[in-house]
Amino acid sequence: MDAIQSILVYTVVLGSLYLLIALGFSLICGVLGIFNLGYGATFLVAIYGMWMLLSTIGVNLWVAIIGVFILQFLFTLGIIYFPIVKRYMEKEELLLTSLLLVSLIVEETVNHFYPVTAGVDIPTAIFSHTLQLGSVSIPAQMLIVIIAAVLITAFFVYFLMKTRIGFKIRAISQQLEASRLLGVRVERVYALAMILSVVPPTICMLIIAPIWAIEPNMGHSLLQTAILVTILGGLGNLRGTVMASFIVGLIASSVAFLGNPRLVGMSILLVVFFVMIFKPQGIAKSETLW
Amino acid sequence: MVRIEHKRALMVFRFGDKKFEWPIETRYWRNPILGIGLLALLPIVFSGRPDALSLIATANIYACIAIPLAWQMTGIGRLNFGPQAFVGIGGFIAALASVHFGWGPWATLPFAILGGLFFGFIFSPLTNIAKGLYFSLITLIIPLIFLEITYYFSIFKGETGLYGIAPLVNVSSIKAEYIITGYMALIMMVIFLFVVVKVFDSRIGLYSAAINDDEEVANNLGLNIKRWKIISFVITSTMVAVAGWFAAHYFGTFSGVTYLQLPFMLKILLMVMIGGRGDVYGAVYGAYFVVILEKALTVVGLAHYILFPLILLILLFALKEGIYGLYRMHRYREYYPTIRVRKR
Repeated sequence: MDAIQSILVYTVVLGSLYLLIALGFSLICGVLGIFNLGYGATFLVAIYGMWMLLSTIGVNLWVAIIGVFILQFLFTLGIIYFPIVKRYMEKEELLLTSLLLVSLIVEETVNHFYPVTAGVDIPTAIFSHTLQLGSVSIPAQMLIVIIAAVLITAFFVYFLMKTRIGFKIRAISQQLEASRLLGVRVERVYALAMILSVVPPTICMLIIAPIWAIEPNMGHSLLQTAILVTILGGLGNLRGTVMASFIVGLIASSVAFLGNPRLVGMSILLVVFFVMIFKPQGIAKSETLW
Repeated sequence: MVRIEHKRALMVFRFGDKKFEWPIETRYWRNPILGIGLLALLPIVFSGRPDALSLIATANIYACIAIPLAWQMTGIGRLNFGPQAFVGIGGFIAALASVHFGWGPWATLPFAILGGLFFGFIFSPLTNIAKGLYFSLITLIIPLIFLEITYYFSIFKGETGLYGIAPLVNVSSIKAEYIITGYMALIMMVIFLFVVVKVFDSRIGLYSAAINDDEEVANNLGLNIKRWKIISFVITSTMVAVAGWFAAHYFGTFSGVTYLQLPFMLKILLMVMIGGRGDVYGAVYGAYFVVILEKALTVVGLAHYILFPLILLILLFALKEGIYGLYRMHRYREYYPTIRVRKR
């Protein structure tokens, strides 16, 4: 009974976390139709950008939070979108390789200035105690992750379904050429989608940084998580991504509590591998964004 | 006795009833032969520098991974994002057999080849099931699953990896060992290069080009594309596994952390892309260039970790057809493969 309780709680906790990690990646996949392999750098810019503003420049917490978002937008548009994605969208072999390289450059730059031995302390913890839910205890900060996941997803859904710009984004995701002919400024919408895509990972990192092991090469595993959830969700369908996040959360918590925690990574990879072979369209088809 | 004759635009070397012709005009020189000849001189030139010999051998090992990958990209018309899985298969088979059973390199080689063939065959249906981006993504996942397996099962020794693997040669002089293994790596690279060049010059090369350019058209023209894609995938995967076998015995240690993660894949991919966008000779240029650049940049200290990917990124954009493309600009342009993840 305790195991089932633990599995249910951690499915929600991990599912929310995976959702925040993968939401931006999935949006890019759905709108631009590309795999942003430089997405791993987004997490590093969020954490180490914040740390740079706090420790090296010495601004206060609120200014640093605003600053990290500005930094993130500048990085996404100035380094990822305009010089690489916009120019090489049709040359995917070049696009994917260069995005991976950008991610590696960011990682090495971070490692150079803030090596893992120096440590990082982001003071964004709202709760520092643990929470007891029946027989299960979780860090109370994880509640913020769940709330953030719900709010950001709700915002994304509202934005895409109810606003004029959301219609344009969905139109591009379905029929690029038709949208262009009807007067949608595709490049602008792409840039907006790129900006939107960095919001969930930045918020996610700011929330979990106080309770998470931070290191310069953490981008690889987070990118891997985002890729796996997005593949399972149907390559760019946000509804599928939400479902996939909680399915991956369920797999992770079930394997950890009923089997062996060391098998969590392998089991997720195997599930996604077989889904890709036998149901390559994933849970939901990527024809629509929602 | 060798007799040398001058015959119009040719120099003719006669040895008994055999003859070898060499054009005098430089534009007709057989540059691959000259290139290999130059590479063969390197171990002698640097015989007193173990670090340089090790660098040359490493470049040859990387080239042995990049050359079959260049064939694979054309032969299956897809971009493999996980060639390192087969480096891992060949390397771990060699390492496990050597460490646990005390086998030497020549005893482990057949098993590395069999392992490459077996797993190549197992995964080969993917070349027909998965198209474009899906193939790249599936192949991206395979080495990551393998990496998790190496973490889980203790026989792979997790992050530490297996060490104490039997060396390729056993000679008393370290200098002689470096030179011999350097030449062994070069010979392996030349064999791989020869095989792939011959394949591209043959009917199979024509099939590969047809598959790479347009699968549907190739199929409609009566080509059994499924069969040829499987054959290309299995053979190239086995060649990569052999490179893994060599790496395991050459370095004496083998771990999943080194060979199965994304940075290693990225390095191989860059060799293929910067070398010549899927060209076979370009893969050799790429391997030597990337390995030498990485080593040369160490003079700037720790900043080389940033400079290395930065320079490669700039070159990736600056050289439209890779380093080999600079040479090809002045040469006859035969078929040039187009690598596209998602063909439209």
